[in-house]
Amino acid sequence: MKADVTVDATFQTCPGPLIALAEAVSRAAPGQVVKLLATDPAAPSDVTEWSTGTGHKLLEITRDGDVYEIYIEVSG
Amino acid sequence: MDHPHPISLSLTKEHPFVDTYLSKPDYYHLFTLRTWEDGEPGMPKIALIVASERLDKLFPAITLATTAAISGWEAELFFTFWGLLALKKGYEPSEVSLDYQAYQDRLKEAIASGSMPGWRTVLEQGVATGRVKIYACSSSLGMFGMTAGDLEEYVDSVAGAATFLGRAKDAEVTLFVS
Repeated sequence: MKADVTVDATFQTCPGPLIALAEAVSRAAPGQVVKLLATDPAAPSDVTEWSTGTGHKLLEITRDGDVYEIYIEVSG
Repeated sequence: MDHPHPISLSLTKEHPFVDTYLSKPDYYHLFTLRTWEDGEPGMPKIALIVASERLDKLFPAITLATTAAISGWEAELFFTFWGLLALKKGYEPSEVSLDYQAYQDRLKEAIASGSMPGWRTVLEQGVATGRVKIYACSSSLGMFGMTAGDLEEYVDSVAGAATFLGRAKDAEVTLFVS
């Protein structure tokens, strides 16, 4: 999946990945796709919960080895 | 009151494991998305009493508050007794509780390496959302011989127990951290 912005939060523990993602999303334009790279095992469920509450759309979560790739579409 | 996260909660209960999420990517499209305007009734709220400036207390309290704020929640933090010291200008909490001294170096290494963000950085990121409110306990201020001028800029106000109760009474999550 193609992303407009990539945030590398690998090897950061909670709440680092979510804060990094939220910052990137706040700077991105509606409709843009932000990709979060994270190794924190809590990241998939944390981002899922966060997206539900904030309205930003969780598009996909994939895993490449120990790294999660989490795609968020920024809401309007 | 209807809980604002019905779908998310059922998802968490039914699919608690990461690998289950990964095997069902189509499930994400079933999410009902919900946002709140600042101050809108129904906006979730967390209210925390922070009564210790030891790092093992500050980190989880601040982590929860900022995570709530960047998730669209309101967060109310009441710093009281020794927790108030964390708000004093020029004071840098640096110790963990006596019970956990053996792990103090591990914590400091994690912060120094950048794998764990420092509590003050996390707090400032929460404050930047405008949804974190920080209150300094008035009687603790007097106990430590401090005045409002001794407090960090991001402190919203000096307050008493009744103020906190008023702000916390409609919170979905309320915790005492000490």
